[in-house]
Amino acid sequence: MASERYHRQLILEGFGANAQSKLTAAKVLVIGAGGLGCPALQYLAAAGVGLIGIADDDTVALSNLHRQILYTTNDIGKPKAKIAAQRLHAMNPEIDIVAHVLRIESINVLEILKAYDFVLDGSDNFESRYLINDACSLLKKPLIFAAVADYEGQLAIFNVKDDKGETTNYRDLFPIAPKPGEIANCAENGVIGVLPGIIGTMAASETIKMITGIGKPLVNKLLHYNLLNNEQYELAIVAGNDYQLPQNEADLMAFKYNHSALTEPMVIEIDATELNNLQQKTSTLLIDVREIHEVPTLNQAIYRQIPMSSFADFLSTDVEEQNIVLICQHGIRSVAAAEALAEKYGNTKNIYSLKGGIVKWRNYFIN
Amino acid sequence: MEIEIISFGKIAEFIANQQLAVDGVETTAHLKDFLEKEFPQLANIKYKLALNKTIIQETTELKSGDTVALMPPFSGG
Repeated sequence: MASERYHRQLILEGFGANAQSKLTAAKVLVIGAGGLGCPALQYLAAAGVGLIGIADDDTVALSNLHRQILYTTNDIGKPKAKIAAQRLHAMNPEIDIVAHVLRIESINVLEILKAYDFVLDGSDNFESRYLINDACSLLKKPLIFAAVADYEGQLAIFNVKDDKGETTNYRDLFPIAPKPGEIANCAENGVIGVLPGIIGTMAASETIKMITGIGKPLVNKLLHYNLLNNEQYELAIVAGNDYQLPQNEADLMAFKYNHSALTEPMVIEIDATELNNLQQKTSTLLIDVREIHEVPTLNQAIYRQIPMSSFADFLSTDVEEQNIVLICQHGIRSVAAAEALAEKYGNTKNIYSLKGGIVKWRNYFIN
Repeated sequence: MEIEIISFGKIAEFIANQQLAVDGVETTAHLKDFLEKEFPQLANIKYKLALNKTIIQETTELKSGDTVALMPPFSGG
C-alpha cells in the first residue's frame, strides 16, 4: 500500500526507493502553520516525510483563509497546529505528525528543535525568525528559510556545508533585526494568497531535495522571487563577521529577541454593556466596518464608517484614540478588522470587537 | 563609471532599477553613502548589498559595468 501511495515518485528517475526511504526516515519541523506553512506541510506530508512537527500557537482567523489553505470556515477560532495535524493525518495516515500548540520562544526552542533533523521557518515575524536562526545555528540544524513581502518572496538554506565546507546563517544577510515598523508584515501590507503558496511549496521542494540529496538545494544562496514579473534573482551568501551568535544555551536565553509573546496583541470581544462603558471614555474610537449599503445605518457622528473594502487604506493611517472598538453586522468581520489593528498597534492600544455584532445588540443601536 | 542598480522589496518603491552614472564612487562603501544621500529613505531601512550577485561583507572596489543589488529582509509568512 505504501509503495502504491508513492508510486509516481518511486518510478521517477533519480528519485526511487532510495530517496523514499530517506523521506521516511526524515524528521522535519515546520514553524508557522500559516501561508507558507500550509502548502509546505501538505507537500511534505504527501511525499511521505516520516515525522512532521507543526509549531504554531495561533488560531484560525477569517482573514487567514485566503492563503492558509489547510483550514475551512468552520475552523475559525481553533488552533492551527491541531487542525493542520488532523488534515494531514487524513491525507497520509502512514506518517507521524506532532502538533506543538505553542509559540517558539527562547525557553522551548532548543528542546523542540532537538527532536528534528530539518527546520522549515515559515513564521511571520522577525523576532521568531532571529530566534529560530540562532537556535538552528547553535544546534547546527539545517534551516530552510522562507519569507514573503508584498508580491515577493525569499528562500535560503542555512547551516549546511557547501562544497567548500562553509556554512552561513540569516545574520550573514541581515546581522540585526529591523525595528518594529521598519519592514511591514502581511497584516499591515496585505498579501495575495498564491504568493506564500508558491514560496511555501518551493520551501517544501528545497526540504525534499536536502533530505534526498537530489539536485542543487539553495545552500548559502538567497533566492528572490517576484510574482508580478516571474523573475528570480539568486545571490550567493558569504559569511560575515559583524554579529554574534549565542554560543550556548545560556547565551540564547539571555539574548533579547524582543519577543512579543509576553505582550502579544490581543483582540478582546465585548458585549453591549462593555461597549457602553467604553463609549463613556474620552479616548475611544468606534468603527463600523460594514459596507455603506448595509442596514441598519448607524449615526456616523458616533460610529465612524470604514468599510472592510477600504480598511487597508485606514490601516496605513495612524489612530490617536487609545481604545478602538470594531463593529459589524454579526461580529465576524469586526474580529478580522480588530486582528489587523492589533497586529499594527501591538499592545500599545486596546482593541475590541463587538461580539455578535449589530444583529445581536439591535436594541442598543436602534432606540 | 556606470553601475547597474537592482532593488527589491520596499527599496524598489523609491529606487527604480537603473543604470547609474557615478563619478568618484570607487567602492561599495562609497556607493552606499552615495545612494543613502540620493535616496534618504534607504538610510532608514536594513538592507544588504550584493555585487555581481554575491553578498558583500567588506568594502569592495567597483568597476564600470558592475551590478549592485539592494536586498531588504522579509518577515511575512
